[in-house]
Amino acid sequence: MTNLPLWLIPLFPLVGTVLLGAIAVISSGSKKGPAEGIVGFLAVIFPVLAFASVVLLAWGMPTEGLRQTLCNWIDIPLFKVDIGFLFDGLSRIMLLFVTGIGSLIALYSIGYMHGDRGFARFFAYINLFLFSMIVLVLSDSLLLTFLGWEGVGLCSYLLIGFWNKDLSNCKAANKAFIVNRVGDIGFLLGMLCLVTVGGSEILNYDSLSAFIQMLIAGGHVEIVLPLLSLAGLLFFIGCTGKSAQIPLLTWLPDAMAGPTPVSALIHAATMVTSGVYLLARMGNLFSLLPVVLLIITLIGLATAFWAAVAGLFQNDIKKVLAYSTISQLGYMFMAAGVCAFDASIFHVFTHAFFKAALFLGAGAVIHALAGEQDMRKMGGLLRKTPVTACVMIFAFFAIIGFPGFAGFWSKDLILERLYTSGSLGPIFYGVGLLTAVITAIYMSRLIILTFFGSYRGSKESEEHIHEAPASMLLPMVVLSIGAIFAGYFWADSLGITMFKDSLAPVLSTAQSGVAHVHVNPIIFAGLGTLAALLGMFIALKVYGNARVPAAKGSSAPEGFKADWTFFFDTIHKFCGIIPVAVLAWIVDMVVEKILQAAQWMVGAIAEILGDGVATFQVRKVRLQLALSVAGVAILVAVVLLTGGSI
Amino acid sequence: MLLHLLVLAPFVAAILMVATSKEDPKSSSRLAFLFGVAFFAMSIALVAGGNQATDPMEWFRIPGCKGPVYYYLYSHGLGAWMVFLSCGLSLVALITARNTFEKNYRNFAIGIFSLMGAMNGTFLSADAVLFFFFFEAMVIPAAVMIAGYGGKERKKAAMTFAIYTLVGSAPMMVSLWYLLTVADNSLLLSFAIALQSLPAETQFVILLSFLLAFLVKTPIFPFHGWQAITYAEAPAPLSAILTGAMSKAGVFGFIAWILPIFPLSMTVVNVMLWLGIATAVYGGLLALRATDAKKLLAYSSMGHLGLAVAGVFSLSEAMLPAVLVLLVAHGISAGVLFYLAGVAERVTGTRDITLMGGLAGKNPVFSTLFGFAAVMALAVPGTAGFVGEFTVLLAIWDMGPLPAVVAGFCLILSAAYMLRFVQKVIFGKPAREYTEGKRMTALEGSTFGIMVALLLTFGFHPAFITNSLHLFDEDAIEEMSKLSGQEGEPEQALPASDSLSGQNSEVSESAEEHHPMTEKEIAQLDSTLAEAGFDESERAALIQQMIAADAAQNGEAAQTNAEATENE
Repeated sequence: MTNLPLWLIPLFPLVGTVLLGAIAVISSGSKKGPAEGIVGFLAVIFPVLAFASVVLLAWGMPTEGLRQTLCNWIDIPLFKVDIGFLFDGLSRIMLLFVTGIGSLIALYSIGYMHGDRGFARFFAYINLFLFSMIVLVLSDSLLLTFLGWEGVGLCSYLLIGFWNKDLSNCKAANKAFIVNRVGDIGFLLGMLCLVTVGGSEILNYDSLSAFIQMLIAGGHVEIVLPLLSLAGLLFFIGCTGKSAQIPLLTWLPDAMAGPTPVSALIHAATMVTSGVYLLARMGNLFSLLPVVLLIITLIGLATAFWAAVAGLFQNDIKKVLAYSTISQLGYMFMAAGVCAFDASIFHVFTHAFFKAALFLGAGAVIHALAGEQDMRKMGGLLRKTPVTACVMIFAFFAIIGFPGFAGFWSKDLILERLYTSGSLGPIFYGVGLLTAVITAIYMSRLIILTFFGSYRGSKESEEHIHEAPASMLLPMVVLSIGAIFAGYFWADSLGITMFKDSLAPVLSTAQSGVAHVHVNPIIFAGLGTLAALLGMFIALKVYGNARVPAAKGSSAPEGFKADWTFFFDTIHKFCGIIPVAVLAWIVDMVVEKILQAAQWMVGAIAEILGDGVATFQVRKVRLQLALSVAGVAILVAVVLLTGGSI
Repeated sequence: MLLHLLVLAPFVAAILMVATSKEDPKSSSRLAFLFGVAFFAMSIALVAGGNQATDPMEWFRIPGCKGPVYYYLYSHGLGAWMVFLSCGLSLVALITARNTFEKNYRNFAIGIFSLMGAMNGTFLSADAVLFFFFFEAMVIPAAVMIAGYGGKERKKAAMTFAIYTLVGSAPMMVSLWYLLTVADNSLLLSFAIALQSLPAETQFVILLSFLLAFLVKTPIFPFHGWQAITYAEAPAPLSAILTGAMSKAGVFGFIAWILPIFPLSMTVVNVMLWLGIATAVYGGLLALRATDAKKLLAYSSMGHLGLAVAGVFSLSEAMLPAVLVLLVAHGISAGVLFYLAGVAERVTGTRDITLMGGLAGKNPVFSTLFGFAAVMALAVPGTAGFVGEFTVLLAIWDMGPLPAVVAGFCLILSAAYMLRFVQKVIFGKPAREYTEGKRMTALEGSTFGIMVALLLTFGFHPAFITNSLHLFDEDAIEEMSKLSGQEGEPEQALPASDSLSGQNSEVSESAEEHHPMTEKEIAQLDSTLAEAGFDESERAALIQQMIAADAAQNGEAAQTNAEATENE
């Protein structure tokens, strides 16, 4: 079955999109929505089919990967690009968890979206998202990746603003799209920059690698290094947009306005990691650019730390998880910045499981509390929703890096690689470890406030608290199993390097430049464990018995907490939004008015002239005006022409 | 034959429409629909048929001029696609107008057909005077229709539109007349030859007068004064045609008349490039603040066409197909958005987007289409707009990263205003109570759906557009030089015909001053050589040679200059 065509994988969700979209549009006129059973079946079956074909392909994939060119896309002078797919070690892992987690979350959504009027529309978007995401990771050229890249951004927009009656959701959606667009333009200009360096064919990943190897072999790297660095930087801007890194990170917390399964799928497990994927995919290029790599590490470091602290201040359960996602993405970028692309992809992989489990768990909690998201009104849910609580607690152990759980392996790997990365390594390592402590604190706070203590909501709402239905619990349980065991694909200290080996054919050249210093992994594991335990201990001391302040109207943080949380929003406001608004105001109220005035002044002069003549002609002033202006223009042209020709 | 039909038959159709009843919109709309479909079919045949030309017929002679004016039609890929737009959009306009105008549909159809004929004539003329005739003729039916069917300020809008565009092209008329006194005839080739013998200042004045006409028509900042009010006050179906097809006459003029005729200096090229980019930014900023739905779309069109003009004057080799895809994509997407805005106006009874809202819940099918069309206008990959804008940016990048970065900024702006537009129109809750007008009919909906589908098709397979592009093939050049040969010296035609059939950029490059090679150029050369398969040492040697030759050339040039001054 390995001769399965690659285009089949994106085709399945595309068919799903078309079918569900048609159902959504056709049924939109009727009072009652379409039957949820059929829609739910269609919604899940296509991602599952895609997952099945990925598994089949992954099983028999040759080491060098599969390549298939479908057809020509753009063919004009100076620019030729084909539509083609590349299935290798990197895209295999990405596809496996994208389609796998996608299917699980589609299943979960059937329960979560039950009774919603836009049931079919929701799943049409989800399928469209999966299509775009598959194209993003499966494509063999940057341009086709860009199609997926903007496609997932578009789906993210559609799904954040899914409940579009509420304008604040729409605003969050617009913000997400526009901030992402800024990044996308970086991506686009990066492509243009690459094309000037090596022609349109180096947009293809294989040709790009070949081109770079040729540069290295010929010792010509210095000639094109400035242009390549520019391109790398532009691509990185694209990554900061999609993966919510400083400075383009403000959209992700707002994106929590969307339905919770969307947050789990798009804003935690898959879409936001595409920036990390792109860095790994172009690892050959980035490993040549020391300046860009340093920038990536610093940005990743700053983002991880800043978001972790911001996560401490949140009261909304989903916002905590959003900042935690940003922070974890920071870890992945740090790893990519020291050329440890395999470690960053490994963290993408484990993070997908435990963060999706956390989000789905949060979704189940919100579902149980009929839409309440403020943690100050929760508490004591351990007894009421035991399965959800267990799932979330397992995922919690994974994210703080408790020994044996998935996050322990991947986070330690990243920290280890940071430490051995060079002269600045120990500093990176120190900040990374500190961030790990803070991670443990805010995550413990979330668990304590939600599941322990006593219930702080109103009495009548307590009656209705109920465990989620089975279709929601099943995916959560599966994901929590992943959160526990996903780390064992690459456990250096146990001698398992399966994950690393499967990525090696793709990433080994990019990582060959990094010297591997052998250090004692036990010390790192010990320090990592210590960080997790310390964080838990601090959280227990601070939040364990403390009185939780009563919830006010809004769940947004206040005072210095708000300053910290909305720091980058403020920067965006002063550096982006206000200048553009002022510019637009100037253009609209000043320049445009001056132009109008000039235009009407010419008209008025003509009218006055026309009036003079009009006394002995027909009284059609406007006609006069037209004729006179035309006449003046003609005269001027004639004078200029004859003047010129003499 | 096809060409004659496309240009002349719309006028015949307009006359035939007179025979139908003014009181009975049903019968007249049926006839108009039939005609519209026929013309649309013909335009598809034209696009599919490749380059074709009619036999040149002598039309008239202006006393005192050297040569005759011909009735000579010629279709190349660019013109054919513009005709496709004009016929297609007219057909949709005829369909959607049926639900908008309760009575007097007949006169509207007459206007649409005459406008269509004039537009087709503009895009298919091979004779400069014929081109100008149609170029001016477009204004009249459009202005009359605005005055007859427009919004509250329709009189003012019609006057502004007519006066502005007519005045804008008046100098061009004079220049044409002047050129006719120098050139053998009014065909492109003889103009190009005649211009070479004129002094530089005269050339420049003539160039300015041509540029002005096209700048106003497109419109390009700062000559856009007529646009917003015209598009806003015109009935939506007409606005769609105006922006989708008629405004293309400006860009078309730049490509088909300015580039082949005039030897452009680098200053002019740079000024035009930056004017185009300034227009794109300007339009985007205005659209951010606009509250009138149709004005917003007008500014958005201005932004896209500014980008197209900037692309034209990048003079890159990739320019022509890139701009053509952009134009077709913009024609369809701006067209469908105007139609949809018209439907929204019909349903809610207002053009003010702050008074709309909540249509997603009330009219889900309409809103789906609206959202789709808006996304298409954002140039999301997979749509024709993306192919156009990306390749145009590629062409602009040739002129340096800065223009491309500014153009990229416009793409961000376009996302900002389009999403705001979508949010205000279809999302949220209705801003006020209103009695609902006539909803979108199934026929309208499916037509708009087809337009959106077309955008997707061209987005994934732009070869439909790019493959049909041969601006001036050998036959046409031959035909033109034959006509010139009847009266003048045929040998002069040869050098010019070379540059015409080749890339237009050569014209400008020859006029450019000689610069020493920059490091960037060397790097670029190096990479091009690398692509061509040279290995390292060969490349280094070649580059050394190039630099040496370059230096020698510069030295020589300096020497000759010095000698020349000595001789004087």
